[in-house]
Amino acid sequence: MAASIPNSSAGPFSSSPYTPTFRAPSMINSSFKIDEGYSEETRSQTGSDTVMRTDSRLGEGLDQEAQYVLPDYILGMSEGERSEFCYAILRSLQTSSIAGLVERLNPLLHLDPVIYLPPEVTFQIFSYLDPETLLRASTLSRSWRSRTLDSPLWKLLFGLEGWTSNTQQVRKYEEAEKLRKAEMKERKTRARTAEDMDYEPQTHKKRIREKPLFGDGAATDGSIHNRLQPLTLDGSQEGTPAWGEQHGLVESDDTTTNGTDDKMQDVAFHDIPGGDQSTMSPQTSNSIASISPMALDPPVKPSLILSSPDAKINWQYLYKQKRRLEENWNSGRYSNFQLPHPNHQEEAHTECVYTIQYSGKYLVSGSRDKTIRIWNLDTQRLVQPPLVGHAASVLCLQFDERPEQDIVITGGSDCHVLLWRFSTGELIKKLEKAHSESVLNLRFDDTYLVTCSKDKTIKVWNRKELRPTDDAYPRTTTAGARFPSYIINLQQQVEGQTLRAKSLKPYSLIMTLEGHGAAVNAIQILDGRIVSASGDRSIKVWDVRNGSSIKTFTGHTKGIACVQYDGRRIVSGSSDETVRIFCSETGAEVACLQGHNNLVRTVQAQFSDLPGNEKELAAEAKAIDMQFLEAREKGLVPTEFTREQRRARNAGSRDPKDIFAFGAKLPPGGGSSRWARIVSGSYDETVIIWKRENDGRWAPSKTLLQHEAVRAAGGRPRRPVTHNHPPIPAVNAVNQNQPQAVPIQNGVANNSHLHQASLAHATAQSAAQAQLFQHAQALQAAAQAGQQAGHTTTVTVNVAATTTNLPHQPAAATTAATAQPAQPVQGPPQQNPNPAPHHHHHHHHPAPQPVGGQVNSRVFKLQFDARRIICCSQDPTIVGWDFANGDKDIIQASQFFGEAV
Amino acid sequence: MAATTSIETPQKILLTTSDNVELKVDRDVAERSILIKNLLEDLGGEGTEAIPIPNVNEAVMKKVLEWCEQHRKDAPATQDDDSDSRKKSTDIDEWDQKFMQVDQEMLFEIILAANYLDIKALLDVGCKTVANMIKGKSPDEIRKTFNIQNDFTPEEEDQIRRENEWAEDR
Repeated sequence: MAASIPNSSAGPFSSSPYTPTFRAPSMINSSFKIDEGYSEETRSQTGSDTVMRTDSRLGEGLDQEAQYVLPDYILGMSEGERSEFCYAILRSLQTSSIAGLVERLNPLLHLDPVIYLPPEVTFQIFSYLDPETLLRASTLSRSWRSRTLDSPLWKLLFGLEGWTSNTQQVRKYEEAEKLRKAEMKERKTRARTAEDMDYEPQTHKKRIREKPLFGDGAATDGSIHNRLQPLTLDGSQEGTPAWGEQHGLVESDDTTTNGTDDKMQDVAFHDIPGGDQSTMSPQTSNSIASISPMALDPPVKPSLILSSPDAKINWQYLYKQKRRLEENWNSGRYSNFQLPHPNHQEEAHTECVYTIQYSGKYLVSGSRDKTIRIWNLDTQRLVQPPLVGHAASVLCLQFDERPEQDIVITGGSDCHVLLWRFSTGELIKKLEKAHSESVLNLRFDDTYLVTCSKDKTIKVWNRKELRPTDDAYPRTTTAGARFPSYIINLQQQVEGQTLRAKSLKPYSLIMTLEGHGAAVNAIQILDGRIVSASGDRSIKVWDVRNGSSIKTFTGHTKGIACVQYDGRRIVSGSSDETVRIFCSETGAEVACLQGHNNLVRTVQAQFSDLPGNEKELAAEAKAIDMQFLEAREKGLVPTEFTREQRRARNAGSRDPKDIFAFGAKLPPGGGSSRWARIVSGSYDETVIIWKRENDGRWAPSKTLLQHEAVRAAGGRPRRPVTHNHPPIPAVNAVNQNQPQAVPIQNGVANNSHLHQASLAHATAQSAAQAQLFQHAQALQAAAQAGQQAGHTTTVTVNVAATTTNLPHQPAAATTAATAQPAQPVQGPPQQNPNPAPHHHHHHHHPAPQPVGGQVNSRVFKLQFDARRIICCSQDPTIVGWDFANGDKDIIQASQFFGEAV
Repeated sequence: MAATTSIETPQKILLTTSDNVELKVDRDVAERSILIKNLLEDLGGEGTEAIPIPNVNEAVMKKVLEWCEQHRKDAPATQDDDSDSRKKSTDIDEWDQKFMQVDQEMLFEIILAANYLDIKALLDVGCKTVANMIKGKSPDEIRKTFNIQNDFTPEEEDQIRRENEWAEDR
């Protein structure tokens, strides 16, 4: 049928809006017969299409001659006259004929935007659609598929989810891939000169086609053979597994789309030959001519690297893998791993591990065994022998492995702060007695190192040499901090004309921040702000430049153990067993997360903010406030909170009845995308993954157990597994000379496949077990010390809070809690264990455990990224949950996912 | 609309459409188009010469100018806004919605003209209009809306459907 039409370019793929009427019959007939769609491979005339388009612009409806030559007198009529004439004719017809005509005219009224509009415009159209709609649209036709699966579009969508990507890694990978591709090509070409004759022209031809395709379902020649050739030519290299599977040079459209769209993002629209279709159409129809029924382009399964010569990362692939990864988090699909590697138990810390940090490939841990260990996460092996230098427990650390930094900084119970070269493990500097008591936490950025201590102070140190004229040099004009005498007041000096340009050597103490009434357990530094959390139940924000205390946040009813600050929110975990989120601008408590049954020792939050959503969040917060006010006016909300409500706080609900804080710049819950996640670790031995429910409330989505993770990772949990074995009598734990056989027996029994239980490790474990007792005692001592430090006045209040906070607690435990005075968090133990009776835990563990039994794996520190949670605890074994769950695609894609904040 | 009360008579300029029709418009209305604005600036002077707009015909140009007229008082488009990385709503104000109630060919021609003439706000409205025609529809409904020829084999369709399953359970 199509052959009867003068312009042979007619067909479903070139259903150009400019050649409408005369083609209508063939369109209708072929539109529902799929096979005809791409069997017309004979079309090669490309110019005519352009001509038609141009003509039609000048006067549509005039090209009916092709079908039926209209008499001159009709052609001579004006548009209006013709229209009336036509209507008269139509009215003379039977309804069925009219219906038939309407059907035939249908293609004139319904146009395919993907064919009609250039890629940069469809890019914008599609950027308004959500991923689900786009995927649905990808099933419409080949050209829709190719435009909707466009990589830059999915890059945009990726960002719109609030996900971050490791742009550096993306660039690095793309460059390496490009180089590799170029090299491979050169090598092949040289090696097979004879075949050049076969390949070269073909490749060349494709290149030409590539350019104008703009993703119009572009395969080249129909035969599979031809498709495969370039694939062998280019894709035979080993390495990235997904690459060679899918891509050959033939998928040329992405090159162009990439180029165009990249350009579009920062260049004005008129730079693109957009409105001018005549530049596009010849090539468009050219590409249509070569569609093969076998070739889907892009291929059915997206692969990491697009086939374009510049080897771009395929963001549709990354988006997909990220979603799959998130799905694993939500449904609790993970694999466990541990440090040390189960086959190299001898590399383990010999006592509990207080602190870890990981970044990319490396994890650094600090332990009560006084050592720091650097692990390779890929191999689960030590990178070098343990770093020895602290005289007591290592309590905190931060590292930066990048060559320009190459540093590990650690702090410990010995009050020292030590600096190590990351790459060599060499001790490069010692800040002797940096504090008068344990260094509980430290953080550094490029300019400053901030340390905090049990001595209630925070200290700031410069990391680079500082001259008084430097921007980072402390401003002593504001009172609030104590400055060493060598810090000069620049302004006074200048005014007094006595400027002595004495610069500060790196790691000089530049200020001491005082103001907390108890140990400062945790700090953060971000954008010139220090956020500190203390056993005095408050969080303070300080200006790092002048040491002034900017704001104090209250709300926790007991000491605060950990804090995270992302610029907008402060997230903290406390001995009051809650995690709270504060709006950092207003100080309002926007969420209180209850679910742990003991001190929350470590927390990390990832809000996955949508780009530029500050204003939206503030507006949202305001709207919710208004609703609340309205509801209160109508008497729908009690003006006074009941005791229960006050205790329950608000975990993020927007219901006016649940509103607790008011006037925040963040909506209840803290404002976040649906991918937001908080992970907290507690002395109740659990790690809780928090997600937001549909009503906005944060709720535990998964609870993870350290000892189960060790077991699943192939190691030996120190903890007796009670559902497999009779519980170990509580007395064991309290007895410092407990039989060493217990943990070993359990280990062997639980992991019969692990026959290489090294004696060394067994000894280490039992030693650690013995230390635990000391630790517990020390904690108790610390707690009591803290109490003496001036919190006796609040004790009664807190006791009440404790008892009523946990209505589900067994009576015995509650009693224990009541008997127990409030304990400000004091951080890890000191070296002076006090033989006070140990009844620290009023916690209620999910696993059956005798009341008063030994606690085995209190979580001290955790960190998570897009893919993993890693945590350390009282158990010397560091464990991880890997939500890639062994999936190769997810693992491959994960390297490009941004680190969690 | 032409009867806008203005103290000064706005400067008029001439545009020549692709079908060789000369249109006289207020300069500030025409300058909603960054392309025309830049052209006028480059040409300098009083702009008495007609500016050729070779990619837009009279019918479409009139429609575009109608939009520009309506939006002549809008704040000029900021060139460097980062709205591309923001979550975008497809809400369209009432007047624009009505304005966009045209046949598909005209709709697409307006979009193409806005793209060519660099009238970002009009392009946005056009793209949103098309996006709204896709949203919430089944594949068959979308195919009908745009007369899209399904050129997949049943096997391919099946493969694609299976591949897309990762996005379904949420």
